[in-house]
Amino acid sequence: MSFLRRTLDSIHPHVTDGGKYTKFYALYEAIDTIFYSPGDVNQGRNHVRDAIDLKRVMIYVWIAAMPAVIMGCYNTGLQANQVMASLGVTEVAGWRGDILTMFGIGIDPSSVFDNFWHGFWYWFPIYATVFIVGGFWEVLFASVRGHEINEGFFVTSILFSLIVPATLPLWQAAIGISFGIVIGKEVFGGTGKNFLNPALTGRAFLYFAYPAQISGDAVWVAVDGFTQATALSVAAQGGVDALVSAGFTIQQSFVGHIAGSIGETSLIAIAIGAVFLLATKVASWRIMLGVAVGVLATSLLFNLIGSETNPMFSITPQWHFVMGGLAFGMVYMATDPVSASMTDTGRFWYGVLIGLMTVLIRVVNPAFPEGIMLAILFANLFAPLIDWFVIQANVKRRELRYAA
Amino acid sequence: MSSEAKKALFEPLVANNPIALQILGICSALAVTTQLSVALIMCLALTSVTAFSNLSISLVRNHVPSSIRIIVQMTIIASLVIVVDQILKAYAYEVSKQLAVFVGLIITNCIVMGRAEAYAMKNGPWNSFLDGIGNGLGYSVILIVVGTVRELFGSGSLLGYQILTPVSEGGWYVPNGLMLLAPSAFIIIGLTIWAIRSFYPEQVEKPDFEMQNAHNTSAHGSTGGAH
Amino acid sequence: MKTNFSFRRQRGFFSLPNDNIVKTIGVATLLCLLCSVIVSGAATLLKPKQVANKLLDKKSNILSVAGISDDTKSIDELFTQIEARIVDMKTGEFTDAVDATNFDQRKAANDAQYRVPLSKQQDLASVGAISKYGNVYLVRDGADVSKIILPISGYGLWSTMYGFLALENDGRTVSSITFYEHGETPGLGAEIENKKWQASWNGKQITDDSGVPVLRLVKGGIDLSAAGSEYKVDGLAGATLTSNGVSNLIQFWMGDDAFGPYLERVRSGKTQANIQVKTSTSNNGEKS
Repeated sequence: MSFLRRTLDSIHPHVTDGGKYTKFYALYEAIDTIFYSPGDVNQGRNHVRDAIDLKRVMIYVWIAAMPAVIMGCYNTGLQANQVMASLGVTEVAGWRGDILTMFGIGIDPSSVFDNFWHGFWYWFPIYATVFIVGGFWEVLFASVRGHEINEGFFVTSILFSLIVPATLPLWQAAIGISFGIVIGKEVFGGTGKNFLNPALTGRAFLYFAYPAQISGDAVWVAVDGFTQATALSVAAQGGVDALVSAGFTIQQSFVGHIAGSIGETSLIAIAIGAVFLLATKVASWRIMLGVAVGVLATSLLFNLIGSETNPMFSITPQWHFVMGGLAFGMVYMATDPVSASMTDTGRFWYGVLIGLMTVLIRVVNPAFPEGIMLAILFANLFAPLIDWFVIQANVKRRELRYAA
Repeated sequence: MSSEAKKALFEPLVANNPIALQILGICSALAVTTQLSVALIMCLALTSVTAFSNLSISLVRNHVPSSIRIIVQMTIIASLVIVVDQILKAYAYEVSKQLAVFVGLIITNCIVMGRAEAYAMKNGPWNSFLDGIGNGLGYSVILIVVGTVRELFGSGSLLGYQILTPVSEGGWYVPNGLMLLAPSAFIIIGLTIWAIRSFYPEQVEKPDFEMQNAHNTSAHGSTGGAH
Repeated sequence: MKTNFSFRRQRGFFSLPNDNIVKTIGVATLLCLLCSVIVSGAATLLKPKQVANKLLDKKSNILSVAGISDDTKSIDELFTQIEARIVDMKTGEFTDAVDATNFDQRKAANDAQYRVPLSKQQDLASVGAISKYGNVYLVRDGADVSKIILPISGYGLWSTMYGFLALENDGRTVSSITFYEHGETPGLGAEIENKKWQASWNGKQITDDSGVPVLRLVKGGIDLSAAGSEYKVDGLAGATLTSNGVSNLIQFWMGDDAFGPYLERVRSGKTQANIQVKTSTSNNGEKS
């Protein structure tokens, strides 16, 4: 046996029943299961053998988010460096500047390397904050309640760090994730019992609590005092024409060279993540398909209806897909297995509901330019109801079959 | 004070709180708690209405035909509410503007009706009066908690006095906008209920179902039954 | 349960059984009588105080936009510096057709007698209709009028915003603005209440030289040294639709369909704000 195994085994008696440090069992268990697979055996009648477990699912989602992280860092840096170049600013202000100078990294917008590292120092502090604070709550609840630490928050924290603007104050990130983890998840009993997506719950909290730091025009580019409208707010002002004249192109949005929340601008990165999630069967293709169908149908309907006063009516589906957080939400958020519908048919309709609500909020609601966050939270609430209808339909069908 | 009277007065404060345990009167608790001063006036209004409606209904309880019992209660409560509303408009105009329709809605507040039907119809005037005050105070306790949190974190002030100076006025505090929106009251009431039930575990409802534990965590062994 | 209060031992009506039809109707009648006496009594007794409160509230709003405050004096005392007048929206002339102290253009907009419906093109502020007559409050500084206060309203994002705009006596320079009632988003649109932002209106010009209202809220900061900055007010960060609403209501209320004709007369000197123009023999207005 290895040294690590021996160490862990020597700790084991102290943290299990009768030991001195039973409060820390959750922490011990978490560390133990990171390195070794548990030796538990099933005790009931049911017995399922599968290589997949919660930990692996969560790690897969974490890996799938990596392309978005890399592109996000690169794009955050690119946006900032471009603006600084055009304004003639030669130095990054504050501690980020010190770090960049220490490693001899420039701020040349044409250098992929420079852009990435500049952006990295915006994303990483947010992620670190979210991870530490989120982890604190997770461990606290696990210790008090005496259950295991769930890996759900690995996913929650990385996704949360990708759906906020790069300029988000760190204390707000900490409050946001605390709300998401505690109110969105732990008060209902922890991972698996939450009916809302915790990352989105946290973001929604920030969105309503501190709207000035997470919406508007001043927060998307990481240069102090610089305002840059997002594609969605430009579209809300003047439709596709305004988008084109403001210099937005579908290709550019597809690659991700537009201002927006850290991880949700690049469709390519998200697509890579989507392929990975689908290939490993971690995410449900039915949900993603449902969202796509919902967006397509609703936006085409609005195109057909048309409106003289609201330019959003004329936005075509392809623009809807590349703007804002729709793609990110569809791939990483809507597919959260805990808060989504559980039945296969239900998953599709759950997705459709998200797509429909997203476009509805974007087009009709004047206050909220983006709709995916609220749409997913809304659909989360309906997921059990959708399942109920699917099951009832099933029951009816069977009754008919056996009635004869 | 008899033990029955004591029970009527003090039990609704925490142990049998109308909002936290009976989950009544939530609507106005959401609507009037953005500012503590408004919440306090609402508490005063509701407490006096509940106390006096309990008193008057208890006085006439032996002569109320059961077929029109609810209508009689409603008429008495509605009259009291209108009187309170008129008094507020005359002597606390600023506050009555902020309370707007919610004073009128005391009529439909389940606490008032609930106490009239559940207590005043069966008990003497003095105890009913105390029960009304007790329930009004129980409602007040929650409203004051919610109002304090919402005003302090939403506007940085308490009773209008600046405590945390907001950034827009040169301070350091960034006001939490969610606190000014109704959902925050739901969350705060929820957290308050959580806190109360941690101290009074007997208030916790029985779970609708229990999950069977098929996964045995006590048989822990990592690499082949070391334990 | 035994109580001291019980009518049960009495004779006659109250000794009837509770489910007796006579008693049911009797109790209902008695209760209704008693309650209606209490309710109407309270309403009548407190009415004068309530009316006074409403008036006082309006006065204090007007005083605050006029920038008059003095803790040692009552609102009524301070209000003597302010003269309420009525303006005919069409002609822009003062009129005594209605009583200036009690007339309320906000209420009158819903009163068939005074209501002037607006067409979609006219209705920039989305108010639907306005009153034929408008309230104008003149701030007296000795014999001269120093400020003109105009009630304004318009739709923002969620709600109709009500406020007052105070102009200097030239009829185009903004002295101050307040909003006293609205339901905009806290932290964003609700910043129309922010004193700092309201102070940024001071000195702005409502109209250009030809008398067309051009004052607008603009996004993203204003260069105060640039030409035309006197026609621009800093928009509210993150509240585009509320800002648009404020721009629109200024355009509307200062425009031809509302106070435009009156302000035009003020600017051209025809209705020097400080000269009394009597259009009828009634003397409801105060003498200067």
